[in-house]
Formats: sequence, C-alpha cells, structure tokens
Amino acid sequence: MRFATRTFLWSFGPIALLMFGSFWNVEKLVQLTVRDGIRTSLRHTQESIAYVRARSEVQNSRFLRMAGENASLKAGMQLLRAEPRNPEARLTVEDQLREISETLGVDFLLVSSPDGKPQAGVMRIGEQFVKMDMARIQPPRGGFFTSESDVYQIASTPINQAEENLGTLTVGERFALSGLNTPAVLLHGGKVLKSSVPGYPEPAIEAALSGCPANGECELKLGGENYLLLPMQNAPLGNGYELRSLQSLDSAARPLQRVLQNVFLITGLGTLLAAIILAVLCSRSIVRPIAGVVARLRETEKTGLLPEFQSDSNTIAVHEIRQLTESFNAAGRAIRDARDNLHGAYVEFIGSLAHALDARDRYTAGHSRRVSDYSCAIARALGLADDTVEEVRIGALLHDIGKIGIADSVLQKSGKLTGEEWALIQQHPTIGRRILESVSGFHVYLPTVELHHENWNGTGYPFGLQGEAVPLAARIVHVADAYDAMTSSRPYRSAMNREDALRILQQNAGTQFDPAIVPVFAGLLAPELKSPAAVEDTDAALRSIRNLNSAIIGEPRRPEGALA
Amino acid sequence: MIVERRLTKAKVTAAANTYARGIAVELHSDASPDVLAFERSHVVIYLEGALPSKPAAGVMEQKDRRFTPDLLVLPVGSTVSFPNLDPIFHNVFSLSKPKEFDLGNYPKGHTRTVTFSKPGVVFVNCHLHANMAAVIVITPNQWNTRADETGNFRLADVPPGAYTIVAWHKAAGFFRQQVTVSENGSTPVSFFIPLASDTSLAAR
Repeated sequence: MRFATRTFLWSFGPIALLMFGSFWNVEKLVQLTVRDGIRTSLRHTQESIAYVRARSEVQNSRFLRMAGENASLKAGMQLLRAEPRNPEARLTVEDQLREISETLGVDFLLVSSPDGKPQAGVMRIGEQFVKMDMARIQPPRGGFFTSESDVYQIASTPINQAEENLGTLTVGERFALSGLNTPAVLLHGGKVLKSSVPGYPEPAIEAALSGCPANGECELKLGGENYLLLPMQNAPLGNGYELRSLQSLDSAARPLQRVLQNVFLITGLGTLLAAIILAVLCSRSIVRPIAGVVARLRETEKTGLLPEFQSDSNTIAVHEIRQLTESFNAAGRAIRDARDNLHGAYVEFIGSLAHALDARDRYTAGHSRRVSDYSCAIARALGLADDTVEEVRIGALLHDIGKIGIADSVLQKSGKLTGEEWALIQQHPTIGRRILESVSGFHVYLPTVELHHENWNGTGYPFGLQGEAVPLAARIVHVADAYDAMTSSRPYRSAMNREDALRILQQNAGTQFDPAIVPVFAGLLAPELKSPAAVEDTDAALRSIRNLNSAIIGEPRRPEGALA
Repeated sequence: MIVERRLTKAKVTAAANTYARGIAVELHSDASPDVLAFERSHVVIYLEGALPSKPAAGVMEQKDRRFTPDLLVLPVGSTVSFPNLDPIFHNVFSLSKPKEFDLGNYPKGHTRTVTFSKPGVVFVNCHLHANMAAVIVITPNQWNTRADETGNFRLADVPPGAYTIVAWHKAAGFFRQQVTVSENGSTPVSFFIPLASDTSLAAR
C-alpha cells in the first residue's frame, strides 16, 4: 500500500470509526428516548380514553336501569313465566323488545329468566330485528356477546317487580372497533374476535399476542414492527373478554425518527467530509516531504549517485523531516567526498603506474597520457556525458597496464618478433584486465582495457568481437592508441607524420576502426594539421613525433595488421 | 289552521308487516282536510237522568297492537267482549272507577268479556303494550251518541222533559247543558269544547 494511502487511512480511519460509533450510539439513545416518550403518551391517551369509556358506561347503565323498569316488559316477563313453552308468549315479548329497541336504539335485546336461561331475544340484522334462536344461544354474562356474524357489547339489568326478580334484560350494541380512535383488538380467552389493526390477519395477531400477559401492558413485534398493547378498560369486561389497543410504536415514532435521522445524516456526512479533508491535509503535510525524499532516494538507487536535498524551510515545512534531509545531505556529502578521494587516489595510483610503465621504455614514454587525452577529446566531441568522458579518460590512461606482465626483452625488442613473442604481446589486454579486476570501483574500466585491440570487423584480439559488441570507450581508445603509436617512434621504426597516420586511420575506418569515430577524430585533428605550430604549443608530446615518417601499417612484423 | 297539538293517539303504522318493527314508516297526511274531524268524532253525547237503559253487546278487538274501535259508547249494563286477533298475547285491563278489571294474558283467538254495571268513563289498556289505549263510555241510559266528523249529532226519540245533556271529550272533559225536550220537534244543542288556545270543537 502506498505510504500516502496508509497515512490517510491511519489518520482518517480512527476518526471515522469513532464518529460513526458515537453517532450510532446517540441515534439509538435518541430513538429509545423517543420511543419511551411515545409509549408514555400512548399510555396516557389510553388511560383517559378508558376513563371516558367508564363514564359513558355508567351513563349507559343508568339508561339501562330505566329500561328494566318498563312496565310492559315486566308484564311480558310475567307472561313468559306463566307460559314458558308458549311460542305466542315469546312472540309477544320479542315484539316488546323490538319496541324497546326502537326507543333505546340498541342492536341486541335479550331477556333471560331469573336462573339465567335466555327466554326471548331479538337482534338487528340489516334493517330488521330478527328473533334469536334460544336453543343456540349461550347465556350472556356481561361484556360481549358473540353471534355467528357479529360481536355485541352488552350490558344487563335485572327486571324486578316489587321485590321479586322476574329475569334479566340484556341489551347490546354491535361492537365496531372502527368506532374507537385507535387500532384495537377484542380478545376472548386469548382468541382474537375482532381486530382493527390494518394489514394483519387475525391469526397473525393472535400468534403475536400469545406471549403477552393476560391483562396488562405488553410490547410485541408484528411483521417486523414494534407494537404496544394496552388495556382499553379500567375494569375487566368479564367473561374472559378483553379489549386492548394495539398501536405501532414504530409508526408513531417514525416522523420524529425521520427528522432525527436526517439531522444525524447531515451532521454525520458533514463531519465525515470535514474529517476527510483534515485527514487529507494532515497526511499530505507528512507524506509530501517524505515522498519527495523517497523519490530522490529511488532515483539515487537507479543512478548510483548520492543526491543532495533541498532542505530550506520553504520546501519542507515539517521540522523533523527537514532535519532528516539535512543529516542525509551531510552523510551523502561525506560519502561522496570519501568516494571521490578514494577514487582519486586510485586513479592517481594507477596513473602513476601507467606512467611508470610508459617510462620503462623511452619509446612509449607519455603514451598512456596522450591516448587518454585523445580519447577524452573524441568522447567530448561525440557529445558524451561528463561521467562517461571521465570513464573514457581513466580507461584510456590504464589501457596498456597489462604490459607490466610482459618482459622488457619482448617489449623493447628492436628486431623482428617471433610468433611466441607476438603471442605474449597479445596477452596484455587480458593481463591488464586481470590486474584491475581486483581493484574495487574499477569495473567500469575493464572493457576498455581488455577490448581496446578488438577491430570493427572482428579481426582483433583477444576475442575477435565485432562492431558495437565492443563498448564505445574501447573503440575510442583503439583509434587514439593506433594514432599515437603511429606517430611515435618505435625501436623498430621511426615515427610517421600525422597526416599519414590520419590517412591510414581513415583508410582503415570500417575495417579496423569504428567508422563513426575516425571522422570525428579527423575533425579534431584538422586545425592542428593546418597550423603545425599551434600543436607545438598545446601538446609537447606530439611535437616529438612530428618528424617521424615511417609508417607502421603493412609492416610484416604486425601479421594481424593491428597497431600496438 | 295551525295545529299545535294533535290530540289523537292513533299511531299510523305500516299495514304490510306490523310485527317487523324497525321499518321506517312515513306518516301519511290526513285524508280529511279537517284535522279536527277525528277529535269531533270522538266527542260522546248522552243524557243524564232517570231514563230506561237497553243493554247492548259491544266488541273491542285487539288488532295490530291497537284496540279497535278505540272508543265504545254503551248504556249501562252492557257487555263488551275483547277478542284478541293478534298473533301475540294481550292483557286487557282497566283501573277506572266505574269498572276495574284485568282480563289476564290471552293469545290469539281467545276472547274475554266484561259487563259494565255502572255508568262512567272506563279507560282500557293492555299490560303488555303501554301504548294500547281505548275508552269505553258507559252512559246511564240508552240515549247516547257520538258526533260525526263535522261535529253534528242527534239523539233520537228522547221522551219530552228536562234533561241534562252531557258532552265528553277525552282531553277536554265533561260539558253539561240543561235541555228541555218537547214533544214532536227537535231541540238544538250546541257545545263549545276548547282543546287548546286556538283550536276548539263545536258540536251541535
């Protein structure tokens, strides 16, 4: 994972988590409070409704008592007592009940004998009052009466003649839950007789109610919603009947909760946004300088160069990171200095070694330095980078170091070389490579030393590599070496003049030499050749070879045609 | 004429199915344009005095939860039978001074009779049906009649002499006048019976 991402996540994550957690908790708390409040208000409402209902029931019972004093009905009751089996007597009383219902406006009337046996009754079905079948009627005891099609809320009053009880009058009104201002259920012994709770069938409600206590408050779940079950009457209705209101807490709390949710959502999103922005800013202020430093270090890894960081307070705002880069810079500087010193010492050492080598032979005195100078000039002219030019310079300085391992008798022999001696001479690039191999930091020069006798067409030694298989530095040194050799005296011949040497170079461009390098070298030599005096000023070594005129090319002692 | 109070207790119910209560009934407008016609026809006229009586037999049916007729005028000593034509029980009774009786409960097809041996107004009710009411006026002699709907009445064959002629209305009460009846000829008598502040009956 990227550093920046990680920093962002670490700074944002905990804040977001903390915020989410606390919001969630607060929201739950508020929801609970809201629900509590709503529960209380529902309970209060229910209590006041129950109170009002109780009052109206008392009123109703007074009216009912008046109905019980109806003289005609008393006569009817006496008739029924006198003629209990007479259908006409029952018809008479039924007719009376119809008349009473007209005045009382009730839906259900029933008289029973003093022992509680139903004797005659009518109930409203549609527009008409029809008689009830006494054989199939359960003696009502109060509360509610259930017929096949309807539920009646009933109340009874005794019919007394003087001190004698003639029976009981029971009147009822069709019980409609729709008349209540809350959704309600009418229960009888745990069975739902009627329900005005929208959307749920009675069996579902019955199942949900099964866990509730007989007469009291209860909270239950119906279709995933929370409902509050409250008793709707102060006193039990009797006979196992219960009337309870069933109201959805959720739907009551929903409007308030929606408002709260919106508030929380907006606040939450706002805070989250603020946290994101803060986290981004915070992580950027840390990550940016570090990322800069890291990027530079990566670059260093690739190039191998030690970078120097800008460490002023403008570019790096964080104090610690500025200090870090400063100390890194100091370390880098120290390392660079040490490396440069070491390298310089090596180069100096090798240079003096080469110089000593050159000095062994009066003919080759200053050869390595001259080749180095020529090579440098060519490299620069080719537009190579400074580092590469430096590589070429040192490589050229060291190119003949391998001649240390070749006996002076062979090197300085003025006569013709035998095949063996020639083979020895040809080993000097390999020997040079072997010598330098063990010196750390000199790996870059090894190809130059080893391959500076390889020809463009593959006829050189030690490997016979072709064209660009030979590194550019070695090819440059090859050209410079040949030129210097030709323009220097040798025990076996005198120096060639420079025009001739250049011509020979040009003739062999493409075969022995890189055809791209020779014209560049020629271009470099051109001003010098036109005005030989200028050369004398710039290079004292070249002055000594000006008078030499013997060509080395085509000499029988050089069977490969190569130049030493 | 504005009628402030109807004296009639006649309840107009639907003829079709009397025992299916609860059907909305539209009270029909009176057939007669004279709203007091009913009241006039319920004014009883009779003579007081020692005159011979000729008992008769009256019938007061209980039909459709009503007494039919709702007014009977009979001389003293008459007998009234109360047949029950309804499919339900009735219990005819009276608490009136001239004749207290309670016929008890009896169903359809049964009848009971009462003989009235004292003159006076007998209010008849039914124990089982508080709104059933009828009046039986027992006059001291056979000279009795009811006014017609226009308020006219006529007592025929009254022996010449001086009498007290009485007009009775259930709401208005008794109105008495002295009248002298001559042989051959009719004697006009007029009653003015006030019922309410601006309604009154005039019987001639």
